[in-house]
Amino acid sequence: MDSKTTRKDNMFIRICRYFRSAEGSAYYFILPSILLLLIFNVIPLFVSSSMSFFDANMTLDKVNYVGIDNFVKAFSDSRFLNSLKVTFIFTAIEVPVQVFGAMIIAALIAKNNITNKFFRAIYFLPVICSATSIGIMWKMILHSNVGFLTYALSSMGLGRINFFNNTHLTIFVVTFISIWRSFGISAIVYVTAIQNVNASLYEAAKMDGAGNLRQFINVTVPSIRPTFWYILMTRLAGSLQIFDIVFMTTGGGPNYTTESTVSYVYSRAFSSEASMGYASTMSMILFVIIMTVTVLLYRRMNAEER
Amino acid sequence: MERLKRISLKTASFILLTIIALLVIVPLAWMALSAFKEEKEILSFPPTFFTHSFTLKNFANTAKRIKIIKYIANSVIYAGVTTALAVVVNSMAGYAYARKKFKGKGIFFITTLATMMIPFQVIMVPTFLVVYKLGMYNTYWGLIIPRVAVPGSIFLMRAAFAGLPVELEDAARIDGLSEWGIFWRIMLPQVRSSAICLIILSINGSWNDLLWPMIVASDTSMRTLSNGLALFVGQNSIQYGASFAGALISIAPMFVLYIFGQKYFVEGMASSGLKG
Repeated sequence: MDSKTTRKDNMFIRICRYFRSAEGSAYYFILPSILLLLIFNVIPLFVSSSMSFFDANMTLDKVNYVGIDNFVKAFSDSRFLNSLKVTFIFTAIEVPVQVFGAMIIAALIAKNNITNKFFRAIYFLPVICSATSIGIMWKMILHSNVGFLTYALSSMGLGRINFFNNTHLTIFVVTFISIWRSFGISAIVYVTAIQNVNASLYEAAKMDGAGNLRQFINVTVPSIRPTFWYILMTRLAGSLQIFDIVFMTTGGGPNYTTESTVSYVYSRAFSSEASMGYASTMSMILFVIIMTVTVLLYRRMNAEER
Repeated sequence: MERLKRISLKTASFILLTIIALLVIVPLAWMALSAFKEEKEILSFPPTFFTHSFTLKNFANTAKRIKIIKYIANSVIYAGVTTALAVVVNSMAGYAYARKKFKGKGIFFITTLATMMIPFQVIMVPTFLVVYKLGMYNTYWGLIIPRVAVPGSIFLMRAAFAGLPVELEDAARIDGLSEWGIFWRIMLPQVRSSAICLIILSINGSWNDLLWPMIVASDTSMRTLSNGLALFVGQNSIQYGASFAGALISIAPMFVLYIFGQKYFVEGMASSGLKG
């Protein structure tokens, strides 16, 4: 009896000692983050994929297995297909501007002098602002009656443009606001990359008689390739998930012409017509699209970097 | 000729940069100035740029229309507690991955890496359900806990810890400090600047967060400034002056944070890929 207790005690002490040791303590250092990521990221992903095969209300009181019905429904749901189209238009405009436009601007402001630092500080300003305030601001600037820009354009003889209620124009307005909001991040990330380019490469190019433009094309662009890929991939994934700016400016209107996929998912999951199963299905389709694009780009990147 | 070309190129680029700068600054300035205008002046056509009818009525109006004080308090709690927990939790993980050898490290690390690829918008529905089933719907914990562990922050801290010399740890161990003591008292202070990056990005991110509070804190008394204001603007009878005032209140603290911590904003976003 006695020896058994001691052995048990020994075991306990040894375990305690192990978790206090340099190696064992690692587990309690990673435990909180692993638990949290598991509960709030990994499990939801699996729940999401399995819930796509169910019909469920918001509180999960009524759950019915429906097989692939939700997927069939999604691909015949014109509002969902339209939301994909809207999302692709957003992405097709925003990504090139962020990836190439920001690169050019970054090259112009990469050198560390007072003027450039000033420009950088300004360009970054929208990044720190909430989507809410940005939405309020642009809604007023482009307001059809009292907007500042509306007035400026009408006094130039362009007439009063109804920026937020035009089935053709509004999507571009929303895209512009979205670019306005996050252009600064891409530019600043490029600036950091450009500043890290080895200065001797520029010296060598100068010796060969290369001007500013030649230096940009032959030295800067190849040197910041990893950053280019990084921005391309993150921007692409980000644009495909556009929500905040749409919610704040148009709410998806007019006539769903600016309703992105995430906006539609949001309204199907958290409104009166709540359907968690169907919302999950659409989320999963979006997930597959984002993953496919990311993996394809990643492989392309690896092939090119080799 | 060559010199002339260079000068004209420089001028052209300066003009382009100035136009973009104006495109950023003019709208923001106009909004800030409009927050102090009488409703009548805001609605006047042609619109004014500078404030002619200086008033603080809009701020009082915001307070009358929505529980702005409560919203601000909620935002402070959300941003403050999330950030405090995030620094501890993500630094701990970053520290272990950077400096410790242990069984299963690869698996744990890859899992963490993989969660970075899961877009929040894709899992927002089930994450809401998890929070709901845990009884945390419309509570501070429901708002905060799911936002604490951030893979990007773990990588940021891991990179910072990896750069420290081994001697530091060994000396502390000889002095008889516990493993927690080594981490908390010796190592963490060494990576102060990365920790500040994390703090600033986390405060900014949660202060501006719109989607998550909207999903999980729908009760009027639980709304944050960002989502409370968004829902206020969404109402039909919109008050422009009050909206401007609210927007300015939402931006002002971040602007102050930016003025003092610009370096950390830029460093943090460039090195961790975290978007606010």
